[in-house]
Amino acid sequence: MRTSWHEIWGSGRGPAARLAPQTRILAGAAFFAACLMSPALSAPGTVFITATTAVWIYASGLPGRALRSSALLGLAMFLPYFLLVPLMVKGPSVTGPGTGWAGALAVPWGILLHGLAGLLIATATIATLTASDLRGGLLALPFPRVLAAILVQIVHQTFVLLSETNRVAAAMAVRGGSGRWRAAVRMLSSLPRVWLPRILGRADRVAAAMEIRGFAEADLRIFGQRVIRAPDAVVIVLAGAVLAVAATLRLRLL
Amino acid sequence: MTSPAPALVFDGVTVRYEVDASPAVDNVTFSLAAGERAALVGLNGSGKTTILLAAVGLVPYEGDIRVCGTPVSRRTAAEVRDRVGFLFNLPDDQLLFPKVIEDVAFGLLRRGFDRTEAYRKAVLALDSLGVGALAEWPLQHLSHGQKQRVALAGAMITDPPLLLLDEPSASLDPPGRRALAGILGRLDAAMLIATHDLDFGRRLCRRLILLEGGKVANDGEDLSTIQRLWEME
Repeated sequence: MRTSWHEIWGSGRGPAARLAPQTRILAGAAFFAACLMSPALSAPGTVFITATTAVWIYASGLPGRALRSSALLGLAMFLPYFLLVPLMVKGPSVTGPGTGWAGALAVPWGILLHGLAGLLIATATIATLTASDLRGGLLALPFPRVLAAILVQIVHQTFVLLSETNRVAAAMAVRGGSGRWRAAVRMLSSLPRVWLPRILGRADRVAAAMEIRGFAEADLRIFGQRVIRAPDAVVIVLAGAVLAVAATLRLRLL
Repeated sequence: MTSPAPALVFDGVTVRYEVDASPAVDNVTFSLAAGERAALVGLNGSGKTTILLAAVGLVPYEGDIRVCGTPVSRRTAAEVRDRVGFLFNLPDDQLLFPKVIEDVAFGLLRRGFDRTEAYRKAVLALDSLGVGALAEWPLQHLSHGQKQRVALAGAMITDPPLLLLDEPSASLDPPGRRALAGILGRLDAAMLIATHDLDFGRRLCRRLILLEGGKVANDGEDLSTIQRLWEME
């Protein structure tokens, strides 16, 4: 079963989804930073990263299917680093708490733990936000308005482009008489010739529409904003505390 | 009592996309009275879309273009666009917000309407197009025909005196085409409808402006000229 990118947005039904959008973005960013900052090569660091990730996934209510897909993607991305371990054991420049195999394993373990935690926290944060929430949240934060508008438009257009990409892939599969996997490979190899010109044309037309509709001049706060309430304040303080613990763990290691 | 300014005037308009290239639109002259509807017909590449884009100041041109009496220039572009509802060929290109209601209400919110009032009017506009039930839907879940109606609702919500519609019937099934023609036929705004769907154009407009190679080859109510020319192709 596949989980597509646009299905994950706003799919979370956990307690975090009831917070103001800006709180969800802030908390997600703080937990992400905390997990990357915390040392992966000490037992407290490992426990801290695992616990923070698990709590945020629970709070976001990330659906099981999306969780499995993200975890599999993370493992596929970061496990191959373990293939380098035999080479690193023999190499001269192994850094880590131990030497030999222990030292060599420490490097890919750190990459795996940080990478997987970061990916899952990002996915869980996305699951708490619809595209409208993202706009509302970004505009409520001290973030340049133009950048927020562009970012929101990129996310919105990405949804549309995914359908376009699927249509291009389907056309290639049919015209090339190939299966799904071969079509995917052909799709990737022909990105510059087929997909990119389409996207450029599309970007041109969307820019024209934005100009005609006055999108660039409009202050997108016209759609209204959620105010911060007591639960939001509690979560922001907690996120700050998590960040502080991560910083402490990192400093203790130095 | 003075009569209102024409909704759209093109006077000797020429558009070139590159300096030395042959013109995409060549010395085009016509005008559209307030509330008048005209179909801009022609084969692919005949300059229909270019004329629509020039009318809202999106392509540089030589000659004179006026929208409701205001000359179209870089300086007046925002003022002109406030008086125009524009429907793109592909609705995906102009739907800029994640939710249907947000996209439709945007035009009013931008003009300073209160959010509750803007959303109420947006629902009414969607209702009038038969898609009121979709107000809270995410845009990516809509069919092409539904997106077209949402885009039209967004274009007409501010009651612009001029609607510029680029191939509005493309990709619609026959019932969809009939329904869209019915909806557009009830509006009071002046309309310039770029299309190569003669039936659709004829259903809505008595006046047909035929473009060939960027030039106006015929302007009037006589369909036979167009049919004869197209059959010769």
